[in-house]
Amino acid sequence: MSTIRGKAAIVGIGEVPTGMYPDRSFIDAAISVSADAIKDAGINKNDIDTVIPIGVVANSLDNANMVCSWVVEELGLGSVAKSNFQLMSGGSSSANALKVATALVTTGLSKAVLVVHSDRMGTGLDLNAAITMFAKASISQEYEAPFGFSQLALAGMLQQRYMYDTGTTERQIASVVESLRKWAMLNPNAMMKKERSADEVVDSPMLSSPVRKRMMNILADGAAAFIVTTKERADDMTDTPAYILGMGSRCTNFTVTAQPTNIIKAWGPAAKEAYEMASVGPKDIGVAELYDAFPTFILISMEILDLCKRGEAGKFVEDGHTSPGGKLPVSTNGAMMAQGHTGAGGGVAILVEAARQIMGKAGERQVKDVKYVVETASGGVGMDFHVGILGREV
Amino acid sequence: MTQTNEYTKPLPLITGLSKIFWDGCKENKLLYQECKDCGEVIFFPKMFCTNCMSQNLGWKESKGKGKIHTFTVTYDMAPPEFMPHVPYALAIIALDEGFRFMSNIVECDFDKISCDMPVEVVFERATDEITLPKFRPTNGN
Ligand SMILES: [Zn+2]
Repeated sequence: MSTIRGKAAIVGIGEVPTGMYPDRSFIDAAISVSADAIKDAGINKNDIDTVIPIGVVANSLDNANMVCSWVVEELGLGSVAKSNFQLMSGGSSSANALKVATALVTTGLSKAVLVVHSDRMGTGLDLNAAITMFAKASISQEYEAPFGFSQLALAGMLQQRYMYDTGTTERQIASVVESLRKWAMLNPNAMMKKERSADEVVDSPMLSSPVRKRMMNILADGAAAFIVTTKERADDMTDTPAYILGMGSRCTNFTVTAQPTNIIKAWGPAAKEAYEMASVGPKDIGVAELYDAFPTFILISMEILDLCKRGEAGKFVEDGHTSPGGKLPVSTNGAMMAQGHTGAGGGVAILVEAARQIMGKAGERQVKDVKYVVETASGGVGMDFHVGILGREV
Repeated sequence: MTQTNEYTKPLPLITGLSKIFWDGCKENKLLYQECKDCGEVIFFPKMFCTNCMSQNLGWKESKGKGKIHTFTVTYDMAPPEFMPHVPYALAIIALDEGFRFMSNIVECDFDKISCDMPVEVVFERATDEITLPKFRPTNGN
C-alpha cells in the first residue's frame, strides 16, 4: 500500500495573538497570518494554487465570503489559484485540512496549499451564531434538546465517566489547567498568561458537575495559517520543514448519546494507524500537542495515544511531567484552555504549534531536540478523533 | 395572559419518524426500533437499519429500565430556557434493551446519583401534545 509518509511537509506558519481584539478586523487577521506563513516558508506566493479557508463561526457573512474566495483576491492569487474551498468539521478542521492538503500535493493536483483560519469569537460573536453553535449544534432536536444539554454539560458528562472509570481525582484534572497555564505564560500569542494553580481550580464554583468554572475555556479572537507542499519543494524552500509522517482518524457519531461507550477503544485505531504510518511509537514522541476544549479530553487523548497507561494520565500531569521542563511536554501553546477558544481554530493553533516545535521556532517554550511531535483534534461533541505525526526528518 | 404553568423549555422537533416515538410517550410507552431482518437495536429512530440498511424496521416497547452511563448536574450556565430550573440532572441512560437515551434524572437527591446506578422511566407531561420520558433511581426491584 502506498503511504503519504514523508511525502509532504508544513513549510510555513503564521499566527496572530489570541484574545480580545475589537479593533482587529476579521480579514486583516486572516491575511496577515497568511502573509506570515508565506514569508515563513520562503515560498513565492504565486506558487499557492489552492486556498482552504476553515469555517468561521462568529459571523455568517465572513464565513460566506471566505467560501467565495476572499483570500484569493486579497493575496492577488487570481491568476494562479485553481481552487478555493472551505473545509469545516468544527474542532477537527485542522486535521481534515491537513489530510486534504497532503493528498492534493502528493498527487500533484496542487503545488502548494494555504490553509487559513480566522474568527472573532471574543469580540465579534453574533448572538444567533452563538446560540446555534453552543446550544443547538450537534444536538438531536428530536430527542436531546428537551432535556437541557449544552457544551458545558458535555464536558461534565465526559469528566464524570472518566473519573468513575479511572479513579482520576478532581485535583489531577485541575492540574491540566495548571500545566497549560504554565505553557501559556511562555506563549506571546496566548490569552491567559497568568499562573493558575490546581488548588485554585478546585476551589472555583461548580458549574456542571464535576466541571468547575476554572476548568472552562474562554472564547477569543484569533487567526492562524499554514502552508503544505511536497517534500521536494519543501527541501528547496526551507531548512526547517515539518514533515508529515503519519495520520489516522476515526469519525464515530453526531450526538453524544450515540458516542461509543468506550471512546478510548473506538478511537484507538486512529492512533495506531498514525504511529504505524510514521514508523514511530509513543516512546519516540518528544512533544504532544493535544486538542482540549476542556481538560479531561487531554487526559483521554494521552491514553488513546498510549503516552500513559489507562487511568494514569491524571497523576502524570499532577506530577508535572507535561509542564515546562517535564519529560513529556503537552500542548505547549496552552491549548484552548489557556490560549483561547477561537471556534474551529483551536485545532489549527495546536497543529501550527506542532509544526512550530518541529521547526524549532517556539521561542521561550521551545522543547530541545524534538524529533517527533504528535498532534490531535476532535470536532462536534466528540464526533471524531484525529492523530497526526510530524517529524524533523523523513 | 396570566397563565403561570406554561411550559417554557424546548419541545422536541416532531417529524414523521419522531412523531411515532413521541406519540408512544404520550401513552407512557418508551419505544425503540429493531431491524426485522438482522435484529439490530436502533435508537435514535432511523429510516434505515444502521447495520444492514434494511428499511424493514419494527417498533418495540422498552421496559424502561437501565443504568446511568454518565451524568452531570448543571448549576449554572445552562441553556437560557433551563436557567430558571437549575440545578437539574442530565444523564445518558443505557437501557437494558441495548440502546441509549438522554434524559433528566428526577425524584432523587442529586448528590446520590452515580454512574451505573439503576434507573427506571417515569413519564412527565409537558404539554397536551408532549410527554417527556425521565428517569428515577430504581428502588428495590
Ligand atoms: Zn438490519
